[in-house]
Amino acid sequence: MIAQFIDGPLWVFSLSVFVIGVVWRIVMILMAGNRTDLSVPKGSASSGAIRTIFSRSIYERTAATRGRLLQIAGYLFHLGLFALLFFAQPHIDFYAERITGFGWPAMPHWAFILSAELAFLGLLLLWIHRLLSPVTRLLTDLDDHVGSILVFLVMLTGCLALAQSFEALRLIHLLLAELLLIYFPFSKLMHTFTFVMSRGYTGATMGRKGVNA
Amino acid sequence: MARMKFYCDPERCIECNACVTACKNENEVPWGVNRRRVVTINDGDEGERSLSVACMHCSDAPCATVCPVDCFYTTQDGVVLHDKDICIGCGYCFYACPFGAPQFPEDGAFATRGKMDKCTFCAGGPEVDNSSDEHRKYGSNRLAEGKLPLCAEMCSTKALLAGDSDTVSDIYRKRIINRSASVMARGVSYRDASFRAPSSAAGKSSAKE
Amino acid sequence: MNNSCNLAVAGRGVKTASCWLLLSCLLLLPLHSLAESKELRGLPSVMVLNPAAELWRDVRQRDMPTSGTTQIKGVDSGVLINANGDKWRKFRMQQLIPIGGYLLLGIGIGLTLFYLIRGRVKIIAGASDKKLPRYTSYERLIHWFMASIFLFLAITGLVILFGRPLLIPIFGKEIFSVIASASKEGHNLMGPLFMVALILVFIKFVRRNIYQKGDLSWLLRGGGIIGKKHVPSNFFNMGEKSMFWMLIIVGSVIVVSGLVLVFPIFGQSREWMELAHVGHAIGAILMIGVILGHIYIGSIGMEGAIEGMKSGYCDLNWAKEHHDLWATQMEKRGEAIANEEVNRFSDPDSNRSLGRELGEAGK
Repeated sequence: MIAQFIDGPLWVFSLSVFVIGVVWRIVMILMAGNRTDLSVPKGSASSGAIRTIFSRSIYERTAATRGRLLQIAGYLFHLGLFALLFFAQPHIDFYAERITGFGWPAMPHWAFILSAELAFLGLLLLWIHRLLSPVTRLLTDLDDHVGSILVFLVMLTGCLALAQSFEALRLIHLLLAELLLIYFPFSKLMHTFTFVMSRGYTGATMGRKGVNA
Repeated sequence: MARMKFYCDPERCIECNACVTACKNENEVPWGVNRRRVVTINDGDEGERSLSVACMHCSDAPCATVCPVDCFYTTQDGVVLHDKDICIGCGYCFYACPFGAPQFPEDGAFATRGKMDKCTFCAGGPEVDNSSDEHRKYGSNRLAEGKLPLCAEMCSTKALLAGDSDTVSDIYRKRIINRSASVMARGVSYRDASFRAPSSAAGKSSAKE
Repeated sequence: MNNSCNLAVAGRGVKTASCWLLLSCLLLLPLHSLAESKELRGLPSVMVLNPAAELWRDVRQRDMPTSGTTQIKGVDSGVLINANGDKWRKFRMQQLIPIGGYLLLGIGIGLTLFYLIRGRVKIIAGASDKKLPRYTSYERLIHWFMASIFLFLAITGLVILFGRPLLIPIFGKEIFSVIASASKEGHNLMGPLFMVALILVFIKFVRRNIYQKGDLSWLLRGGGIIGKKHVPSNFFNMGEKSMFWMLIIVGSVIVVSGLVLVFPIFGQSREWMELAHVGHAIGAILMIGVILGHIYIGSIGMEGAIEGMKSGYCDLNWAKEHHDLWATQMEKRGEAIANEEVNRFSDPDSNRSLGRELGEAGK
């Protein structure tokens, strides 16, 4: 009975909260608008925006040398998680069955396992550092804690269910993923979508001024 | 109660692999899984013998003892079966089995081998007898229909015997007595009387050409 | 002042808890049931003779070849009989599980007894008003990363090893198989991360773990664990260094055997897998035993020990008592920092700059 609830109504509810919540927040941010810039444009805002969206993915020189372990951990976690979410066979099957109706090519099994390992490595290094370093401990609030714990638990239960032959393990993973989806639009996890807007805005204003940001 | 056993007579086995094919067909095992195999020793040489090997349904099954989740059980007929719903695919039974009976459908990197599959003496599994679930997971359940395993039934030379251990032992003993009796009647040694006798075939094996 | 009073009260509570733990452990001692016995396996006491028994005995005992050709593709498929399989099974069920179980339980009981008798190793001179910087944040990161991976692997590994005799009676087969599958998948997936952690630990800590002058005399004086006399030591004492080298060496055995086990796709025969399993299990049980001691001494066993690994700073008196040679060197270099300054760095309510982390003097 719990199984039917997790697979059925709770899935629909969590997906709706996620989609509606994300769209709502993005719309609200866009509707906030910006002050009209009365200066003469010296460069292109749109090309500046595009440029900055991508250039911000490369670390600034000092942060790259002094924070090397965390830089690597950050990339490992995000890239591994992206690969897992969208190119792991079990996930593609799930989306095909419940959302899109079609699938797409998955990565080979060994790549799936490797992405999971690297994502976990990144997550553990980043999370433990966040809890140990006095700087980040100062900055971390409840939102960060809940988000970290949820993401970690979703990934962990995914690992535990790797054999894909025990319903209970799959359901625990799905339940935690649904909780994460419900939590998502109300938290800093929204950076998944808003990073494009914040980088783009910075790039656009700088680009309009003719500056490489 | 009957105690089910296999016996393969190396004197009779001609390596035709009918037992292998019959088993795969009857039980619809997945690709790469071979519940039964025929091993030939001294292939092409004098003293070549073949044996059909699968689960021997040991009374003291090492697979059952070593399993971390205790998924094996022995039926009243002495057949060693296991529960695929409980199996976690760790492979320990495969390491422990002297005959290499357990098989796995997947290659096992990161040890995701899938559920273990092995010869069931055509006795199915813990599901309801002859249900579609049982057939899908474990293959046919001939024993519940009062039949014997198909490998032994299909053996072209009746080298592979399967059934109650007393009956099988009887047949085996009779064969030995007959062989010895025919040898005595012809006044030659057992080895020379065997159809695999090397005297006329020495050095003429096709494998050596 | 308040801290030591609270600790005394907490100490009494911990002592009572340990007494109860000890008693309950004693009740668990009839562990011989962990070793398999014929009765437990539900076998009839009179065995029916297998007609093939003679044949297979001949195969094993005579000089006949035990492997040949077969039409079936696969590693080991030409092998007629693998006699080592049963040997391995007997080792795992009749020796590894009971002896390993007794060993780990014995270590647990031993540590409890040690705590009840010796008590917590306190800082004799009392907590001082100065601290020394001991571990940078990267060093602490690597240590806790290794610790979490090790704990996860140890727990999942122990579930796989001891689950059948200990957990199936509690949870039943269906629920335990879910736990066991989760443990096996988690263990196999996190295993390679232990390799990464081992490499990081080695790189970061090897320099300070080279055996030096003073280590042998530390050992000969028992490290000062009995009695109250100081025994001088460097940054790491001989016990810590030995644990480091044990972790690296035994850990490497565990990693290599683990890689053999988790990638059975390179044509390893069953014998290699069995050998790898034996090395892996013995190494793991040894490591778990040693780490139990490490966790004990680092947490409740010694006052002031965990501080270094949590905040990065350790008490000056603690350092003088347990790592004298290093502490005096650091003091001479003027590295001792007053407690208030350290608290400023890590106090989340303070709005002063976090000098040390940002490279300033913190004034």
